[in-house]
Amino acid sequence: MKPRMYLIVLLLLLPLQASLFGPLPLGSIAPDLGLAVLYCIGLVTGPVEAALAGVAIGLTQDLGSASLIGFSGLTRGVVGLFAGFLGRRVLDIQSPSNIVLLVVFCLAESLFSALFLEITYGSVPLVGLFFGRMVPRAITTALVGYAFLRLMSGKNVLAWLLRRGLQKEL
Amino acid sequence: MPGFFDKNKKYIAVLALFLVLFWLVTVQVKAGRFTVLEKPVLAVSGFFERIITGTYNGIAGLGRGYVFLVRTERENRRLAKELGDLRLENQIMNELLSENERLREALGFKKLNPPASVTAQVIGRDSSPSSSTVTVNKGSLAGIDRDLAVITPDGIVGRVQAILPGTARVQLLTDPGSTIAVRVQRNREEGLLEGKLNRCALKYVSFYVDVQEGDLLVTSGLDGIYPKGLPVARVTTVRKHEASSFQTVYADPVVRISRLEEVLVFKK
Repeated sequence: MKPRMYLIVLLLLLPLQASLFGPLPLGSIAPDLGLAVLYCIGLVTGPVEAALAGVAIGLTQDLGSASLIGFSGLTRGVVGLFAGFLGRRVLDIQSPSNIVLLVVFCLAESLFSALFLEITYGSVPLVGLFFGRMVPRAITTALVGYAFLRLMSGKNVLAWLLRRGLQKEL
Repeated sequence: MPGFFDKNKKYIAVLALFLVLFWLVTVQVKAGRFTVLEKPVLAVSGFFERIITGTYNGIAGLGRGYVFLVRTERENRRLAKELGDLRLENQIMNELLSENERLREALGFKKLNPPASVTAQVIGRDSSPSSSTVTVNKGSLAGIDRDLAVITPDGIVGRVQAILPGTARVQLLTDPGSTIAVRVQRNREEGLLEGKLNRCALKYVSFYVDVQEGDLLVTSGLDGIYPKGLPVARVTTVRKHEASSFQTVYADPVVRISRLEEVLVFKK
């Protein structure tokens, strides 16, 4: 993506997530804007760029929350890497199978976080968390991500978002 | 072999970056969370959050105004009845308070003064899979400082974790890094309540301690952050394991975390 697009994403991610996507009427369940955006970046850029974007997005989210600094950077970096591999080898951005894959990515990241918390602090109610928080979050994130992908498949949107070199490559 | 490294140098660099991040996390598990760059990020996100929340509330307020008008009559009657009940309750409480003060004075105890507080509006919440925080629209200019207790009329919300002049981040009681010293209101047994993302867990409760589902947990004041006697959570699950000397106790916050709009921040 173009550097200015990354700057916009990093500047607006936290405030948009916190103020618009946070208090949705679904109670405490809110889509994860960072993950949805990262998946889209992964599909249209490539593994290395998406991994670096994931680290940057994750670190920004770590700094804006109470989680250990570097934790989301690491998990989001891995998500970006795999999304990049998928984009290069398997998927096109309009495919509805992106919804399923986004759910899988989101669940995998949440489960990894919960297991890390269980190992670090103990007594994490995994079953309650899985059904009460992780699954609804994964579904809403996947829907938001798919909506972004549909927007990106519009005329000239990719040309507006991506660097020239990357456009030629795609 | 050199060919492999040349061909995959970008992936090796990414892997090295992941290892650095992993090392950073393990260091923080032992030494506590770093606070580096926290303030600039809070400043930038707080600035945009104010603009977005203000615009959103302005637009949503127009629609809400009409709906509220329709419900006003019914709401008015309900509030009038509630006010009557509360007045009566208040009179009884005042009687009890003055009796309590007289008895404390007779016993030579220090007089209890309720702490001063600041009202703040929640302008954002994070969605990280490993933490629970909200951002409020008051900061150091309003007298807010780190580690001050944040409450609603229902009970404890959390504590102030980071501050700026006009914004503060509140670590909710459900955050995995949150620990609150509590007592079981019914029998005064003590414990530590830790956040577990969607609920809380009471730690280090001996196998023989009597804790029951439905018990109310209140602050004990022993952590030096939260004033004594405020409602925190209600016990929902108690599991005893023969093999362990402790029991597993889960509790749900008495405050509806997902519906937080306004909070009170206690001043020191």
